[in-house]
Amino acid sequence: MPVEHDASGMPPTLLSVAVGALVGVALLGAAFDRRSLAVVVVAAAAPDVDALLGPLGIGAANATLHTVLVPLAAGSLLYYDTALRERSWLWTRYGWYGARVAWVAVAAYAIAGIGPDAFSAESAALLYPLSGRYYAITGGLLYSTQDGLVQTYAAVGGGWIELATPGTVDTHRVDTWIAPTASDSNSGDGERRLRLLESGWQAIVVLTAAAAVPAKALIERGDRVRGDR
Amino acid sequence: MPSSVVHAALALVLGVGLLGRFYDRRALVVLLAVVVAPEVDTVFGLAFDGAHRTVLHNMVYGTVLAGVLYWETGREESLIRGRWGARGVRIAWVGLFVHTFAHLALDWGHLEGINLLWPLYDRFFTLEGELFLSTSEGLVQTFVEITADPDTGTTVVDAGQGGTRAETHVDNPAQPSDEPDPGPVDRRFPIAVRGWQLYLVVTALGTLLAKRLQTPRRSR
Repeated sequence: MPVEHDASGMPPTLLSVAVGALVGVALLGAAFDRRSLAVVVVAAAAPDVDALLGPLGIGAANATLHTVLVPLAAGSLLYYDTALRERSWLWTRYGWYGARVAWVAVAAYAIAGIGPDAFSAESAALLYPLSGRYYAITGGLLYSTQDGLVQTYAAVGGGWIELATPGTVDTHRVDTWIAPTASDSNSGDGERRLRLLESGWQAIVVLTAAAAVPAKALIERGDRVRGDR
Repeated sequence: MPSSVVHAALALVLGVGLLGRFYDRRALVVLLAVVVAPEVDTVFGLAFDGAHRTVLHNMVYGTVLAGVLYWETGREESLIRGRWGARGVRIAWVGLFVHTFAHLALDWGHLEGINLLWPLYDRFFTLEGELFLSTSEGLVQTFVEITADPDTGTTVVDAGQGGTRAETHVDNPAQPSDEPDPGPVDRRFPIAVRGWQLYLVVTALGTLLAKRLQTPRRSR
C-alpha cells in the first residue's frame, strides 16, 4: 500500500504548546484560568528540554525526557498521594484545583509533549533508559474494497508488535536546532533553524488552539457568573 | 481528505472542553453529526463536477451562519433559547466552532484544499508551508509567498491558490479518480494516513477517557 512518508524533522515545540493548550481547554474544567493553563502548557513543552541536555552530556535528544516512564512515575506518585494516602498533601495544600491541574499537566506531558514525536518519523525513545531504541509510529490505516482493512503502523506477528525504528541512542541522532547534524543541509554554512511549523496541519492545530483558549475563557466566565457550578 | 474519523477526533477534543457543563453523550453525538455533515457535498458531486469541497466546504456560509446565530440567540423571543435553553445555544456555538476548525480548516491544509470563498470567489486554496527561525535568514514563513515577478515587476501573491470548482476534483471513496490500470475499481476509505492523523485519533480517545476518570469538584 502506498503510504505518504512524513518529512523528517523534530516536531516543533510550538505544536506541543498548541496541543497542550487544547488538552488544558478540554480537561481543566472549572480549574481553567490563566495560571493553570500556563502550568499545563509548560508541562507540554517540557520534554523538548532534552534537546538542550543532550549537548551537555546528559542523555540524548528525544530520549531523556521523551520516555513514557516520566509521566508514568508522575502519575503513580499523584495517584498514591491523592487516592491512597489518608491525607493528601496536594489536597491539603492546594485543594481540588491543585489535584486537577496536576493530573492535566501529566496528561499534557504525555499527549502533547511526547505524542507528536512518537507519531512522526523523527521518533522518540519511549522506554529510555530501559531501552535506548527510538520508535516511530508512522504509516496508514484504510479500508479498501479490494484488500479489506489495511494498516501499516505496526507489524504484528509472532506474538510481537513491531514498530518502525531508526536506531538506538547509540546509532541514531535526532537533529535539533541546538545541535544540528553535520550531514544536515541546514548546517552547511553554520546556519541553525528553529522550526516553528512544518506543514499546513500544524498551522491549523495552532490556529485552533489560539481560538479555543479565548472561547473557553468566555464560557468559563459565563458559567461562573451564573454561579451554578 | 483527512477521513471523517480524523475530523471527528479533533471535534471531540474541542467538544469536551467547550461544551463545559453541558457535556454529555447526546451533545457529543450532535457535534459528530455537525462535523461529518459537510461531506454531503460529495453527493452533489455526482450531479455536477467539483461540488465536493466547494458547496459545503467554504468559509462564507459559516460566517453568515455565525451572524445569524448571534442575532437569533441575542433577541428576546429567540427560537433556540426558547426551545432548548442555554444548552441549545451552547451546542449551536460549539457546533459552528468544530465545523470551522475540525472540518474546514483541517481540509484547507490537505490535498487540493477547499474552495475557501465560494460562491463569492471560485478558487481552491491549500494551506501549505513552514515557519522557522533561522540564524541567517531570520523569521521565515512560506504559507503565503509574496514575490515580485522578474519580468513585469508586478507583485505575485501565492497563498496556495489552485483551480476553480470546475477544474478541481478532490478524490473521495464515492468518486475515485479514473485510474490508468484496468481491473475492478479499488475504492479506498482512508481511516488515518500518516502518523499525525493517528495521533489526533489517539489524543481524542485519551481525552475522552481522562474526562470520564475526572473527579467532579465537590465530591471529596
